[in-house]
Amino acid sequence: MSDGGPSQNGDDPPTPDSDDRWSQYRQRLIRLGQTSVGERILIAVSALLLSLVVGTVIVTAAGLLATCRSPVLTFGSTTLCYDPFYVFNRLFLGALGDPFAGGWSPLNAQFAATLRETTILVFTGLSVALAFRAGIFNIGTQGQLIIGALAAALTVLWAGSLVSGTIALVLFIPLGLLAGAIGGGLYGAIPGALKAYADANEVITTIMLNFVAVRVTLYLVRNHFADPTSQATQTPTLPVEGQFPSILFDPRTDFSLLALLIALAFVGGVYYLLEHTAFGYDLRTAGIQPAAAEYGGVDSARTILTSLTLSGALGGIGGAVFVMMTLGKFQTGIPSYGFDGITVSILAGNNPIGAVFAALLFGVLKSGSNVVAFATDVPPQLVGVLRGLIILFVAMPEFFRIIGRRLAAREPDSPATATAGGGADD
Amino acid sequence: MTNDSAMDRLRSASSRVLIAAAAFLTLAVLAGFGLFAPASTPGQIFWVLASKSTLSSTLRLSVPIVLAALGGIFAEKSGIINIGLEGLLIISAFAAIFGADATGSLWLGFLIGIVASTLLAGVFAVVCIEFRADQIIAGLAVWLIALGLAPFASQVFYGGPNTSSVGTFDTITVPTLAEIPFFGALFDASPAVYIMFLAVAASWYVLNRTTFGRWVRAAGENPKALDTAGVDVSRVRYAAVLLSGVFSGMGGAALAINIGQFTGNGPTMVNGKGFIAIVAYLFGNYNPVGALLSTTLFAGLDAVQLRLQTADVIAVPDSLVQTIPFVAVIVVLALVGKTRLPEAAGDHYESGEE
Repeated sequence: MSDGGPSQNGDDPPTPDSDDRWSQYRQRLIRLGQTSVGERILIAVSALLLSLVVGTVIVTAAGLLATCRSPVLTFGSTTLCYDPFYVFNRLFLGALGDPFAGGWSPLNAQFAATLRETTILVFTGLSVALAFRAGIFNIGTQGQLIIGALAAALTVLWAGSLVSGTIALVLFIPLGLLAGAIGGGLYGAIPGALKAYADANEVITTIMLNFVAVRVTLYLVRNHFADPTSQATQTPTLPVEGQFPSILFDPRTDFSLLALLIALAFVGGVYYLLEHTAFGYDLRTAGIQPAAAEYGGVDSARTILTSLTLSGALGGIGGAVFVMMTLGKFQTGIPSYGFDGITVSILAGNNPIGAVFAALLFGVLKSGSNVVAFATDVPPQLVGVLRGLIILFVAMPEFFRIIGRRLAAREPDSPATATAGGGADD
Repeated sequence: MTNDSAMDRLRSASSRVLIAAAAFLTLAVLAGFGLFAPASTPGQIFWVLASKSTLSSTLRLSVPIVLAALGGIFAEKSGIINIGLEGLLIISAFAAIFGADATGSLWLGFLIGIVASTLLAGVFAVVCIEFRADQIIAGLAVWLIALGLAPFASQVFYGGPNTSSVGTFDTITVPTLAEIPFFGALFDASPAVYIMFLAVAASWYVLNRTTFGRWVRAAGENPKALDTAGVDVSRVRYAAVLLSGVFSGMGGAALAINIGQFTGNGPTMVNGKGFIAIVAYLFGNYNPVGALLSTTLFAGLDAVQLRLQTADVIAVPDSLVQTIPFVAVIVVLALVGKTRLPEAAGDHYESGEE
């Protein structure tokens, strides 16, 4: 399992009777994961498998150390409290609503929850990816999402106090998305301007702004926009016209196919922006070769500011969708979609289309973690650990290259020492 | 290029002076109010500032930030940008409480916290040095792993994101000296505060006066020269990154034992201190003493906001006052601007022999 990715190189075995062929093959292995999409996918899959293996080790270790009333296994005095295979079974199959259990429908509630999480993660993944492509580490998507969420909620609530009916039905959702985009975009423009014009490192400023966003929204909701009928720190519920309609799926699942389609439209939009527009070209050049971009006439300060603003706007729209689809109001304590967006983007190699698949995977993990929490005693924070592990492994393509090289080196050893024997092996 | 970096240096040096001057001026104005109009709001703020307990909590709040910053200095001076200090603080904070709980000794818990942080730093070192990972992304991974792992472990062992309480270090009080107004706080503090001062002095000495310190600086500035001189660059970098684990471990363990509990909700009890530490050493120009001074600024603001909340001096809601240290970090970073990184920081170094 752990070598699932790299061992796929074995699908294409070298012809051992030719040194020339061998060196070609070796070259190909060394290039593994450098640029091409196929190699990126290989590394992403390997990283994912490796983090699941490490996750299994962690769950097993925790299961051995924890104390519980009904252990799944007992050897003498040691007990195993968690069954790692059952955990991953629940995490993945549970998130899809048990496709092998019979009577499965894609409209089941758990799969709806998975798609609901996926929808938000597409936005945060795109947000991080867009900035990344410009060479900017936007760790602040979380804060931008929070600000966008509050901006959307307040705007729709305000609009709801003015109009209702058909106009509202047509206007409120675009209005909320726009408010989210503006809120998140302006909040992203702050670190953008600080980086562009004051050289302030965006990793730190965006992280600090995440902390600020949590507290400012807490203050605003608690002191100015609180729902007087609720104990929780939240705004009143949005008017129905401002909430995404559930199409096909059960309304109780809080998932809207419309929101997912909008997310996919944004994927197309960001892809087009990056790959087929002059601005996208400038942005990518600034990310790869800042000095060359500057020399080529790209205004780097403006590119930085625009990229972070757009990135923030995407995060803000994610927040607006969260408010208008999932919650129906703004509530403090927003889940960490922004941080998951970092993993989504890195796993997708910062490619907008790849982000859809990475977001679906993370949607499975997030929704599956609830199934795990329900079915087992394993802490749901496990997904947080996996999130970090995946980033760590994707960050080290060299690891997989070395494994690839070792795997490759083992094979030619035999042809090198005994040509005939090597030939017989294959 | 050299001209640019000279300009940058000049600019960041002058902004350091500017910030220090502004802080001093603010203090002087507040002191004026404190002396001549003690009942006014600025006057009251001055007396809050000048109180022994404010210094005392400034020192307490400084401990994790300063220690993590020292670790960050060693790593970055050697050429490895360790942005995962936050994660090292989180993991050691949990491990210290868990260790203290399991062994019944706070000091053993303190040690276990250091071990946990050093192990995680070791993983980071291998990933960056051996597998040439992007240091920023690997650092973020370290943070996110710890952010998941510590509450996960807390849930496994304590049934919730917060651990049970294990008690705190007894303060060490120097008789007579502790009676001095304001500065008496320096002589009536947790052992962690003394450890912090010792660590600052030791770091400064090691970096500037020892062979190892020279190697660390060379590994970051001119690894080729170090290699030519026959010193293994990777080894020096490993040592420096592990040291960042040791220092951050002390910081995280001290933070948790100071409260006697690990709290793991949301951003956990570490709450951005590792990132503030990075700004502290950038602002302190990679100098341990500079990092201590700039931390005092951030931690001092935090201490003052805590005091202002309890003292009810100004009617600003808690959640807004709590943003002060974070905003201060952003402002400082914007004023300092581009810091001069060690020449080879962030780059992988491949010895010519390979």
